[in-house]
Amino acid sequence: MSKGLLQYLVSGVLIAAGFAAVFGLSNYLERNRVSLPEAYEDEDLTLQGKRLKGFVLGGEGLMADWYWMQSLQYLGGKLVRSESDFIDLGDLRSLNPRLLYPYLDNATDLDPKLMAAYTYGATMLPAIDVNQAITLAQKGIRDNPESWNLHHLLGYIYWTQKDYEKAAEAYDEGVKINGSPQFMKLMAASMRNQGGSRETARSMFKQMLSDNPDQQTQSNAEFRLMELDALDDRDALNGALKTFSEEHGRCATGWSEMIPLLRNIRLPEGRDFKLDKNDNLVDPKGEPYAIDPSNCTARPGPDSAFPES
Amino acid sequence: MRSNSPLKTILTIASNTFREAVRDRVLYNLVIFVLLIIACAILLGDLTDGNEARTIVNIGLNAILVFGAFIAIFVGVSLVSKEIEKRTVFAIFAKPVRRSEFVLGKYLGLCLTLLVNVVVMGVGVSLALIYVKGGSLIYSIWGSIFLIVLELAILTAVAILFSSFSTPALSALLTFFVFIIGHMSASLRDLAAGLGSKFAVIFFDVIYYLLPNLAHYSFRTEAANGMVPTGPMVGGAVLYTIIYSSILLLASTLIFQRRNFK
Repeated sequence: MSKGLLQYLVSGVLIAAGFAAVFGLSNYLERNRVSLPEAYEDEDLTLQGKRLKGFVLGGEGLMADWYWMQSLQYLGGKLVRSESDFIDLGDLRSLNPRLLYPYLDNATDLDPKLMAAYTYGATMLPAIDVNQAITLAQKGIRDNPESWNLHHLLGYIYWTQKDYEKAAEAYDEGVKINGSPQFMKLMAASMRNQGGSRETARSMFKQMLSDNPDQQTQSNAEFRLMELDALDDRDALNGALKTFSEEHGRCATGWSEMIPLLRNIRLPEGRDFKLDKNDNLVDPKGEPYAIDPSNCTARPGPDSAFPES
Repeated sequence: MRSNSPLKTILTIASNTFREAVRDRVLYNLVIFVLLIIACAILLGDLTDGNEARTIVNIGLNAILVFGAFIAIFVGVSLVSKEIEKRTVFAIFAKPVRRSEFVLGKYLGLCLTLLVNVVVMGVGVSLALIYVKGGSLIYSIWGSIFLIVLELAILTAVAILFSSFSTPALSALLTFFVFIIGHMSASLRDLAAGLGSKFAVIFFDVIYYLLPNLAHYSFRTEAANGMVPTGPMVGGAVLYTIIYSSILLLASTLIFQRRNFK
């Protein structure tokens, strides 16, 4: 073997061995990485959007997008990492998402027309801090006086707090804007007359579903609509359970013996009860309903995404 | 005796400058840009919660500016120095070419290179928008792209001015500073007014009026929101570019005429 070939071979072996060592070491380091305590997880924002304005070479929109994406990742990450079996989207305080508002505030400081941030804030912030949600929506209204949709968002926030009078006032203000849809006028009246009704809620979420391109807002509205359907289902099932008890002197042991009764029930909006492939009576997300024998009422199954009340 | 008209001489130098930029693979940056835009179009859907169109506009327009600014700065400062270094400047001036024609030709050649670059990048952003079903924003981005071209034209003139009396490295650094401060001058002036210091107010007022105010050309955030620049804004920006670039090119020519190449 020539000296040159030997040199190449030795070098090749050394390089291969080096890569093998690096591969092993990399995995070793990954396994032994010291993770920060949870309390260190959230780093406070050191830069404020309004202070950055004018100093980012005209790239305010890009910076706003960055803060906006951060806000999505931030809350999304908290939800994904949550170890709780059930997450109540109506109250996210247990996740301590204290930076959501600063992210959205910065995003809208840098680009006051970033509608997605206002919508996301109106949808998620009421579950964290309602005052922050109101502040953000009011800031949006101040900076976008031509947008009726922001009044709708403000009305929605007040509605989540059951403050129907203020919600109606928000819709009234939105009606004054040129081009606002008829829906706004209807919502103003609906808030005053039947603010807490399921029908008002349904109209609200349907509008959110059709008006907003944001996936998060849409999925939230879809979930809320399904939740309303589940409440309608349970009302109807409870009525049927009561009838069954009266007729048979006992509570039904399963849904199968109630099928004849259920066939005659008409659900709101022309819906029918949903059955899975095993003919179980299921909620809009496909989880079977259960019968609570203690009070003979229908309740969500153990794996249901919907709350008991 | 001159056989060519000044315009023909300028256009010849400009076309040679463009060809040289193509030969120097300046347009290769388009490949990186296209890869960036493709990656954005594919990856941003989840990250932006369905708002990828406006983010593509923001990333695309800012990338066009940054890529363009780097070309304007680094190619701009080497336009003259390279000719001197390679001694080709002697061959050029042995012909009936005025130094002012040389400077103007070089400037227009680089502006053409930048225009081609920016238009191709603009088409890339438009295609990405079509891909993510954000076609409604295509109309609005071209207003902003036009303003970027004007901004780069000024930056090129700044680079040529510095390179007419300084080394390429220092010229690049100085042009970069002008690019940064030019975008911030209005904000710095407002900041100085808030500080209450008379010296700061005067100092930043001087900077505001002396350096090019590049904030006039920033319409990228607005474009991402579907807005288009108004006629007076575009007209004013065109006029500002012509006047400011003329001042810089005139100064460059004056300095260049006094320069001894030996």
